[in-house]
Amino acid sequence: MDNLKPFLTDVLSGVASQYADIRIEESEYTGIAFRGPELDQIGRSFERGGCIRVFHNGNWGSASFNQIDGKLKDLAREVAASVEALPPRPETLGTLPALSDNVAVPEADDPRKVPLEEKHALIKHYNDILLKTAGITTTVSAYADSFGKTSFLSSEGRFIEQESVHTGFSCRAVARDGTTVQDYSDSFGKTQGFASLTNREPMVERIAKVALDLVKAEPVSAGKYDVIIDPLLAGVFAHEAFGHLSEADFMSTNERLRELMKVGARYGVDDLTIVDDGTMPGERGSFRYDDEGTESDRTELIKDGRIAGHLHDRQSAQRMGEQPTGNARAVSYSFAPIVRMSNTYIEPRAYNIEDMLDAVEHGLYVCGSRGGMTELESFTFSAQYAWLVEHGRQTRLLRNVTLSGNVFETLKNIAMIGDDLVMFGGLGGCGKGGQAPLPVGLGAPHILIRNVVIGGR
Amino acid sequence: MEDEILSLAQARGAQAEVFSSDENRTVVAFEANEFHSQESRLARGYGLRVVKDGRVGFGSSSDPNKVGELVQAALDTAVFGKRCGFEFPGPVQCPTVKTFDNRVIMLPASKMIEWGRELVDAVRARVPNLKLDVTIARVYRETLVANSAGLNARSSRAVLQLRATGLVVHEGLIWISEYENLSSGAPPAIGALADRIEERAQFARTRARLATGTYPVLFTPMAVLNLLQPILVGANGKHLEKGVSPLIDKAGQKLLDEKITIADNGLRDFGVASGPFDAEGVPRRRTVLFDRGVFTGFLFDLATAAACGAKSTGSAGRNYPAQPQPGTSNVELAPGDARFEDALADIREGLLVYECIGGGQSNVLAGDVALNVSSGFRIVNGKVAGRVKDAVIAGNVYDMFRNVAAVGDTVRDLGAYYVPFVMFPGLKVATRD
Repeated sequence: MDNLKPFLTDVLSGVASQYADIRIEESEYTGIAFRGPELDQIGRSFERGGCIRVFHNGNWGSASFNQIDGKLKDLAREVAASVEALPPRPETLGTLPALSDNVAVPEADDPRKVPLEEKHALIKHYNDILLKTAGITTTVSAYADSFGKTSFLSSEGRFIEQESVHTGFSCRAVARDGTTVQDYSDSFGKTQGFASLTNREPMVERIAKVALDLVKAEPVSAGKYDVIIDPLLAGVFAHEAFGHLSEADFMSTNERLRELMKVGARYGVDDLTIVDDGTMPGERGSFRYDDEGTESDRTELIKDGRIAGHLHDRQSAQRMGEQPTGNARAVSYSFAPIVRMSNTYIEPRAYNIEDMLDAVEHGLYVCGSRGGMTELESFTFSAQYAWLVEHGRQTRLLRNVTLSGNVFETLKNIAMIGDDLVMFGGLGGCGKGGQAPLPVGLGAPHILIRNVVIGGR
Repeated sequence: MEDEILSLAQARGAQAEVFSSDENRTVVAFEANEFHSQESRLARGYGLRVVKDGRVGFGSSSDPNKVGELVQAALDTAVFGKRCGFEFPGPVQCPTVKTFDNRVIMLPASKMIEWGRELVDAVRARVPNLKLDVTIARVYRETLVANSAGLNARSSRAVLQLRATGLVVHEGLIWISEYENLSSGAPPAIGALADRIEERAQFARTRARLATGTYPVLFTPMAVLNLLQPILVGANGKHLEKGVSPLIDKAGQKLLDEKITIADNGLRDFGVASGPFDAEGVPRRRTVLFDRGVFTGFLFDLATAAACGAKSTGSAGRNYPAQPQPGTSNVELAPGDARFEDALADIREGLLVYECIGGGQSNVLAGDVALNVSSGFRIVNGKVAGRVKDAVIAGNVYDMFRNVAAVGDTVRDLGAYYVPFVMFPGLKVATRD
């Protein structure tokens, strides 16, 4: 794609509103999926499109499109006219300085340079590892990569060209014993090249082993437990239970929630620090500029047990009198950006897993994630499995383990934070406002939480 | 454009199918009682499926300048593609179904904003401390399926939907969701929507405690969707093909309570998923999945049907960047004979569930669910006695639907789901109380 600045400048030239921006994205995608021994889907896609946004007198309008031609100037005018016709609201947007930048992906990381044969061979190899394991009845293994280039221009004179790369794979093994069918899955994803996906055999072998073990596992009994949470599920907790609450788009319109999330409010132990950081090299949720052209940043959400910051787009930052944090993200050119997380994690502290096991008389060691959801204060998320812990020892494998509760109470019940931070990416992502899956990273060390409600039979 | 793509692919010795969609979406949004934004989204693109040397390849593009690359990508992937067991269908007569009303197509965005404001004002007058988000979205979509067997089928659909979510802060945060399908062209029933939101805001004013135990539980229509989902996943032909559905070899067996009849109906007038044909050009139809508790069959697209020795049920769904997959269109859970008030009156102590979070996180294929009841109320002697917080209902939906106390006599249109309430005689509820 050539330098689009003259074209984008022309598109916005007919708009006299207080603020406008345009974002054009061009991307290529490759996907391969096996189900069992057979290749199920293989395909390549080319996407090209964009989005125009206009802000005037406190109101937003936007239009996305994928026909890129001279008519866009008319579309920009139409959006501006409809926004300017709305009743004014007492809101402003603040300003960002003019800027020109170009962010390129290293050529060695460009997945378009890797032959389709190699991508096919890699995911088939991982899928075959699962299939060769006795007791595994079927599998789902998927590979995906994408390479994109975005050109952004705002009426403030910020012009940003930014390339991005996402690669990843996921594997799921299904094991059956009589009528008991259990599955286990794991995935890996980075903002790095194809090479980061190779040599992952140990992870794949573990998927098959856990699926087989789960067939023999018993359903957990419902009740309250002290739980040790592994880094993946603790990362899901940081993202789902607290990260979403820190997204300021909603908070900025709700006084009560603003009060609850006020900087300085105490919700956790002194050891607890939760961070969202879009600048981490190579992680799944990393980027240089967000989709409003704001630099990505490291934002402490909780520091030493107290609320320390919020995640913002430009409007929520202005509303709350804080700085934009570079968290305005759109899942594709079809959407205007909204406040989203990048890489969200709990900072490591001093304890190790043995310390935590020693501190549990009767509890659970819960591992892996089947996803999670929140409705602000309420959260629920499901583990892939758990060990029953009795007198500090892992005794029996359990399944159907779902944790739920109130996030503020649960944060206060964190008793120990481990020293072994792991970051996760994966193939999927986060969903919000109809925009999914948005690539995000998450992580944590092991943590011990007292008195968690576990759903079960 | 489709002719150019098809002939390019055919010239390279492939059978081919082009699916295209041209979508015009208008969305107006209110957040926390205030107008928030007006968005339009225009999206057009092509998906190309080829069969070359007996193998399936696929490419897609939204870039009209990349026809050559699109055909090349589809042919490149066909080298590794799955063996093709089906043939592209030729032209067929399709049933008629109402999929748009001109009032919806012509509706100006300013009218959608006016409706949103009326609803915000109506709710604010009833529940002063409630903050309402409203989204009104219209999608007009033209779909084309053309293939090398001579099919060239076009259809249009206009869908207009209103979603509202209210937030009340009272001993924690309480969410109240409402929905109305406006695709038939009638304006929204603002008063009725506001009344329902007000009723639930009143229910939530007091906090109730429910000890962990087994209780009668009444799921309102919106909450029933969480329980239907795993069964619909099980009835998907893809999971028969892969040998992972718990419904394999169960056709003709009574698996659920006789009060339960579930059908997939792609021909429901103004259904948000209705159309004369599916995403492969196969006529849509009504397919019964469970008839009075007896499992009657799976949903298929062309490929899964061929793999299972069955015929497509016209259940292929897709957007242009993806290959077709079997799936539901509009799901109908048949109404029973129970009135809501009577069912409630029968509960001495139990739980009334409006909304859950956490659907789809368990072993869905096996039918397991673990639902965090985000909007649930304790029932004492047939009356709502306050909000229950942090309750979890975990179990297996096949077990749950085997014993149903009552099914409601009124079906709610929830957009691709037409569902009454369902009451279960005894479910395990875990709480912190």
